[in-house]
Amino acid sequence: MKSKKKHNKYIEWFFNRPKLTGTLTFLFLSYIVGFVVVLQYQVIKEDEQRQMDTILHVVQQNIEQSLKNCYTTSLTLALTIGESGVPKNFDYVSKSLIATNPTIHTVQLVPKGIIKYIYPMAGNEEAMNLNILTSPHLNKEAFKSITTRKMYFAGPLELKQGGMGIVGRFPIFQNNQFWGFSAVILKLETLLKSSGIANVDQSKYYFQLSKYSPTEKREIFYLPKKENFNDNYKISVQIPDGDWKLYIASKNRSFLTKEILIPGIIGMLLAALFGVVIFTLLRMPRKLQSLVNKQAKKLMNSEIKFKAIFDQAAVGIAHIDSFTGRFIEINNQYCKLLGYSQKEIQELNYQTLTHPEDLSEDLSNINKLRAGEIENYSLEKRFISKDGNVIWINLTVSPLIKKDGKVVSHIAIIEDISIKKDAEDLIKKSEIRFKSLFEDYPIPLWEKDFSQVKNYLKELDLVNKSPEIVEKYLKTNPEVIAKCMTLVRVVDVNNMCIDLHDAKTKEEVTCGFKQFLGESYTCDFAKHIIAITQGKNELIADSTIKTAKGETRDVKYRWSIITGFEESLGRTIVSTEDITVQKHNENIIKKSQQRIESLINTIDGIVWECDAVNFSHTFISPKVKNILGYTPEEWLADAAFWQNHIYDEDKHYVQNYTELKKNQHLDHDFEYRMIAKDGSIVWLRDIVNVVLENDKAISLRGIMIDISKAKEAEKELNASFDLVTEQNKRLLNFSYIISHNLRSHTSNIESIISLLETAENEEEKQQLIQLLKTTSDSLNETMFHLNEVINIRANIDLVSEPLDLEKYIISTRNVLCEQISSNKVTISTEIPAGTLINYNPAYLESILYNIISNSIRYKHPSRKPVININLVEENNIKILEITDNGIGIDLARNGDKIFGMYKTFSNNADSRGIGLFITKNQIDAMGGNITVESEPNKGTTFKIYIL
Amino acid sequence: MKKKKIWVIDDDNIYQIIVKKIMERSEMFSEISSFKNGKDAIDELYNSSENIDAILDIILLDINMPIMDGWEFMDELGVIKPKFNADIVVYIVSSSIAIEDKNKSKSHENILGYLSKPVTLDDLILIASRD
Repeated sequence: MKSKKKHNKYIEWFFNRPKLTGTLTFLFLSYIVGFVVVLQYQVIKEDEQRQMDTILHVVQQNIEQSLKNCYTTSLTLALTIGESGVPKNFDYVSKSLIATNPTIHTVQLVPKGIIKYIYPMAGNEEAMNLNILTSPHLNKEAFKSITTRKMYFAGPLELKQGGMGIVGRFPIFQNNQFWGFSAVILKLETLLKSSGIANVDQSKYYFQLSKYSPTEKREIFYLPKKENFNDNYKISVQIPDGDWKLYIASKNRSFLTKEILIPGIIGMLLAALFGVVIFTLLRMPRKLQSLVNKQAKKLMNSEIKFKAIFDQAAVGIAHIDSFTGRFIEINNQYCKLLGYSQKEIQELNYQTLTHPEDLSEDLSNINKLRAGEIENYSLEKRFISKDGNVIWINLTVSPLIKKDGKVVSHIAIIEDISIKKDAEDLIKKSEIRFKSLFEDYPIPLWEKDFSQVKNYLKELDLVNKSPEIVEKYLKTNPEVIAKCMTLVRVVDVNNMCIDLHDAKTKEEVTCGFKQFLGESYTCDFAKHIIAITQGKNELIADSTIKTAKGETRDVKYRWSIITGFEESLGRTIVSTEDITVQKHNENIIKKSQQRIESLINTIDGIVWECDAVNFSHTFISPKVKNILGYTPEEWLADAAFWQNHIYDEDKHYVQNYTELKKNQHLDHDFEYRMIAKDGSIVWLRDIVNVVLENDKAISLRGIMIDISKAKEAEKELNASFDLVTEQNKRLLNFSYIISHNLRSHTSNIESIISLLETAENEEEKQQLIQLLKTTSDSLNETMFHLNEVINIRANIDLVSEPLDLEKYIISTRNVLCEQISSNKVTISTEIPAGTLINYNPAYLESILYNIISNSIRYKHPSRKPVININLVEENNIKILEITDNGIGIDLARNGDKIFGMYKTFSNNADSRGIGLFITKNQIDAMGGNITVESEPNKGTTFKIYIL
Repeated sequence: MKKKKIWVIDDDNIYQIIVKKIMERSEMFSEISSFKNGKDAIDELYNSSENIDAILDIILLDINMPIMDGWEFMDELGVIKPKFNADIVVYIVSSSIAIEDKNKSKSHENILGYLSKPVTLDDLILIASRD
């Protein structure tokens, strides 16, 4: 028994290792195959050997037979030799010998080693008289036969007669004296033929004949040599008569392997196959075993899982006997719910634990279940726990084991729903509270159902469309609004709502609510529909209602959806707060506001208000559009609009000033410029009020008044004032000039007269009178000049006409021709012929005369005067330039006086200081200007600007 | 009383003749020199090799003159005066009634007085007798 067990154990060991067992099987079988193949090989080999031996033996015997014949022949031939040592009947004997022995080709007698007799002679003539004993390649073998006194076959060797031949020499002794040889010559070919080699299967074997050559010290082969002769299997035999070695060799070297290898390989393959089969077979049960293990493990896992679920479940699970109601198996949660231990509960049944009020329903259900009327059931019932508390549970029962179609045990799952029950109670209570809240709420409330409205709007595909589209649609389809109104269902209204509408009962309002809608309701309801399409949960709007007595009341309409009904709109709360009084008050306020607004708008100024800290405007009256072009919206959109649009030059001053006044809490009134929208500058007077709160400036208010016109007038006034002042100054200056120039003469006259009065003699008197006359002339001249100047100044209606400039220059030259020629003056002009200028002819003549004559008068003493006259144009103003190379004027010293009256700058006798003064006056009167550029000793240029 | 040396700087030839006659009549002046403008007078001051006291006591100066007017002359005089170390009494004589000229001459430290033309004998006696 024990050993069997052990035996089994070993087998099992192998069974468990299919790979190893397979390999071992393979090795074992391949060993047997190898063994058989080797045996087979040896048998074949021996067989072959035996066959070859037999063949070789036959061949050997044949050869030896042929050689023996030769021996007999040679002996017979020797017997022909008589006592005298000369052969008798040699040819006859030879002939008969050859005839009886066809293998022999030729016979010879060789007395003393010299071939003397040959038969047949034909073809062997060459061999005659050949001394064998002296022929080096023949003598060795010849001597050998002499010494042994035996016949010896020499060769095979090349015959003189042609072909390979064997020479058998029989030494003949007479009286113990060597006589010579009796020789036979065999053709090798013939010998081999007679040996029977040709009869041997040529396909299987071949022969070889060899002899050890003592001269060359190696084996010489005489038959054609096969390449693989040395490798092939061969056996040999010695032929002592000629020292030959005869070989037989198997031709096909690999026939053995062929016969051995193929079965060997097949055998090995079979062994391998067998090994694989063993391996596969052995592996099968192991696979099955592992599958079984896996399944078992799975099963166990699921059992553990189930057990865990059962034990750890958050619900109580019990396996109950349906008939008695006893617990077969219960989980921890079940026990925990009821407060009993596992042991205690197994003594009880569910009927005793169930609240008496709920038992009958449970029992009726279980009976139905047992009878198979229902598949399962669930209900909410109460259990009484161990400590007497009532626990609400949700029970689910389903059958577990059936016998004969009747349920014998079932699974009961219980879930603690005490919390849910409590919550339900709470909800119930809060519902009641809500109800009373709704009923007694001091604002009229409605509960309305808008679900049909929403569905209708969905059908019309208006939901989630843009408000504009919906509005447009409603405008073109007013019947939709009416239809929607009929779809609103009033669920409930509260007491306040009944009061509001002066209704008697709730039903009066809920059923006939449409009669209470105000006139504007259709319009308001359209907004409501839009809100619904936009998915809004709230809407606040003002509307009107009508009471049962037909009075109109203003209401604040609030619509909001009860949470949870956002999608369906099944429950919405609407409040309609009575705001009739409030509305009335609002209207009064609105009217008063409007009055103020219109008042502000009628003021011809911009009324504004701004923040005291950053001056950002909070109000600006629409008048701003008229005065500055900006709209109030534009103005208010930018906090720094006002600062940014003050005229640049005024900005600094305005900001500093307002800041200062604001900080001093002083109202102020100032003027500045602003840039209007069209880019023009507008003068404003800003009257500003600083608004204080708790002694702090909080805002500024004011009015900006357009004072551009007043400013314009002021400017004009100032300009004319300046003009008058300037003229006054000039007049005063002129009066000074007049007084000075006249006074110098009058004072002279006065002095002369006083001297006259006190003159001592007639001569002196005459002298003084002469002096008086000169003074009078001077006075006259001065008067003339002054008259001229006054004429210029008084001449308001100056006539300008187009003048040919060149013509006037020529006429001036003509007037001055005497001075020009006497001073050798050169006057060049670069003015194109026919150039016209607009000027007064008399003035042009005078100006040209004065300046050119001045140039000549103040010529430089050391050079000839050159005067250049030119006309250029600069900024549309023509400039007449007259340049000379005269003495020049020190402008640093005299620049301001050059055009003054009676100003002279040289001691020139002709200087009167009136020419340039008049010229200047004339040019001024024409509205132009004259300037001078000069450098002492170089020259002077006068520029006359012609308008 | 010592007779004074006087310079008359004025571009009016007739005035020069007249004032010279009046001075001669007053017999208050030892020497009377005439200059047509300020430049001639300044040149004379520069060129004079003698002590300034020897040639000059009083100057009667016109304002409006060519080349160098009265005010320019005063400026030049201010520059060269320290060289001479002498008291030069200058009177402005003008026919101008412009108040500016009168005020300017009053504020000028080197000008002693302002005379309006015509210059009378009494004016000259007053000037000459003043020390």
